[in-house]
Amino acid sequence: MPEIGLNHYLVLSAILFSLGLFGIMTRRNAVVVLMGVELILNAANLNLVAFSKYNGTMSGVMFSMFGIVLAAAEAAVALAIVLNIYATFKTVDVGEIDTMRE
Amino acid sequence: MSDLIQYSIYILLLPLLSFGLQIFFGKKLPRKGDFIATALIAGALVLSLLVAGSVLGQENFQQEWNFTWANLGTMEMKLGILLDNITAVMLVVVTAISFLVHLFSIGYMAGEPRYEQYFGYLGIFTFSMLGIVLANNLFAIYCFWELVGLSSYLLIGFYLERDSAAAAQKKAFMLNRVGDIGFWIGILMLFAQFQTFNYQEIYQNIADGKFTWGEEWLTVAGVLLFMGCVGKSAQFPLHTWLPDAMEGPTPVSALIHAATMVAAGVYLLARVFVILTPDALAIIAVIGAVTAFFAATIAITQNDIKRVLAYSTLSQLGYMVMGMGVGAFAAALFHLVTHAFFKAGLFLGSGSVIHALHHEQDMRYMGGLMKKMPITFATFTICLFALAGLPLFTGFLSKDAILAGAVGYANVEGSWAIVIPVLGFSAALLTPFYMGRQWFMVFFGENRANQKLATTNNHHHHEHSDQHHGEVHESAPVMTIPLIVLAIMSCFFVFSLNPLDGEKSWFMNVVKTPETKVGVPKEGLQGAAQVFSAIGGGKPIETEETQHSAMAYFNDLRQQKLAEETHRAHTTVVSLSISLALAGLVLAFLAYSKNIGSIASPFVMLSKMMSWFNDTFMEGAFVKGTGNLGVKLSSFSGGFDKLVVDGLVNLTATLAQIIGLVFRKLQTGRVQTYIALLLIAVVGYFFAKLV
Repeated sequence: MPEIGLNHYLVLSAILFSLGLFGIMTRRNAVVVLMGVELILNAANLNLVAFSKYNGTMSGVMFSMFGIVLAAAEAAVALAIVLNIYATFKTVDVGEIDTMRE
Repeated sequence: MSDLIQYSIYILLLPLLSFGLQIFFGKKLPRKGDFIATALIAGALVLSLLVAGSVLGQENFQQEWNFTWANLGTMEMKLGILLDNITAVMLVVVTAISFLVHLFSIGYMAGEPRYEQYFGYLGIFTFSMLGIVLANNLFAIYCFWELVGLSSYLLIGFYLERDSAAAAQKKAFMLNRVGDIGFWIGILMLFAQFQTFNYQEIYQNIADGKFTWGEEWLTVAGVLLFMGCVGKSAQFPLHTWLPDAMEGPTPVSALIHAATMVAAGVYLLARVFVILTPDALAIIAVIGAVTAFFAATIAITQNDIKRVLAYSTLSQLGYMVMGMGVGAFAAALFHLVTHAFFKAGLFLGSGSVIHALHHEQDMRYMGGLMKKMPITFATFTICLFALAGLPLFTGFLSKDAILAGAVGYANVEGSWAIVIPVLGFSAALLTPFYMGRQWFMVFFGENRANQKLATTNNHHHHEHSDQHHGEVHESAPVMTIPLIVLAIMSCFFVFSLNPLDGEKSWFMNVVKTPETKVGVPKEGLQGAAQVFSAIGGGKPIETEETQHSAMAYFNDLRQQKLAEETHRAHTTVVSLSISLALAGLVLAFLAYSKNIGSIASPFVMLSKMMSWFNDTFMEGAFVKGTGNLGVKLSSFSGGFDKLVVDGLVNLTATLAQIIGLVFRKLQTGRVQTYIALLLIAVVGYFFAKLV
């Protein structure tokens, strides 16, 4: 079995990113879109940590610590927004929320 | 500045002073300022006589004085005075008639509203006319030309309350302006060539051959300058304003529309005579002859005493213009002077009649005034005989000189030119005819005033002519003295000791036809060489340098030939014109005094035919024509405006709308769409960087 190198982490991170992006662009449920956002954020964090390990510095890890905290905060706010959207539009289907169109 | 020039400036400014006093202080002056105005003009008259006395005693007198009016850097605008034999004579004529008209108006206009304004307007008219006479350059004459037009406008419409007067004043000014457009373009053409407006400089430039556009354009310039004369002197086709101008008070008609203003056109022709080419002169002669003839025909059927005289003025102006055109320069100016006096006499005489009959102007209701108004009758008769061209009076002398010139011209020019003396002599027959008609209708026979009462409605408003319908009596001396003076001026001894021969008169010695400054006519140099030897036993043309002077020499020879032919034709013309004058009067006597209808009817028919030339033609051809053209042009430009201009604007807006419609689809309002677009943009960017 080959050694697990940096590339494997980067590819994994890219796959996770793509899956998250797919989720954002395709899914209709707002909460699931948020799950996709979380996936993207985690993919980025993974990328950072991998680079940090294989370059031997701590800066990547520090960056991703901040990233995790911000992701959490942002998730809280986003869910609050989704709650408000539900209160206004009576639905969480992002396809239905298009009153700002032309 | 010499003394004479100084006097000329005083002569010019005294009437202006009269105008200023009358307009600003008129109401407060004693007697509303009529004596003051008259005295100022009398002062100008005295000075004019002094100036004329010195000037005319000297041979070939000419003095010029300039001052710089404006310095525009590259160009200096100069204004000034040119004192000449012609100028001196015109000064006397203008101030004399203005003075007599002032005097007459004191009697005639007594009691009229705005009396002081009237004298003010007479003052500014006299000032403007004197300005025309004294000007030494085309720009100055144009300015005074317009001023004279303004004065005419003010005076024609003096009776503000009448709609007909308002219409007449507008018509006069409009037609005058049309002529002035041509005049101004002519002036500008000459200015474009020579950078000067001054007469003497323009003459010198043309004589030196510096007119670079060729003789055709010089002809055009000459004809354009003539347009000013056509407008001001009421030649065909800009003539219709003059009969309507009779809406003004009668002394105004005497001053402006008989004696002086309408003569300004002829004076202009005199000033630019030397630069008129033979072609331009031919056109001028034809228009003058046509006007002379057809105006005389229309006068036959006019019933208003002033309109007959108005058409008569048109006809006589035609004579003067024709005289200029055929080269009888001195004769035309002579006729101008004599006409001024006898026509003013006729108008003032008719004013006396109108005043005595309490503003009755229709000749059908006059008659029998010979006994009741003896002085008016006598003076009117003398002036009438002068107009008719009977010997012993001045009109004969000058008209005869013009007709001799016309015959001479026909002999020199050949084929078509015979029409000019034919028209001239026909008018010479018609003039005594219609004047005789007027004479008999107004002064002889029974008084027909009661015919008017019989023909008008009973509840028609008779005005005060009914209440004062008592005795008709002779006018006051303030009105008859000018008449007497003018009648004396219409007798032969004023101008010539020989009652039968105009060429012996002092006028013709003082005013001489000037040498023309223009080159050879269209045959070209070869033709000129042939004609050269035919006329003068002339020298052969050697080199280029002598060519231009040869051309001028040829034209001088032509002028000499004209003068010779005129002289030769003289005796025939004299006898012919005397017989025509007598024939005309006799026919008028038979037609109107004895009421032999068959004699009158061919003339009346001719008159009615010619009347077509008048307002109907003008209206149809020019007014309706330009009106329709204007409507078509405006509908075209309106369509253009709506279709093209508005269309472009609308097109732009529609284009924006279409683009907007397309791009609006991007705004779906859904976040996922936006994210997708973002992704496409980013990926596309990176691809672009790679590629």
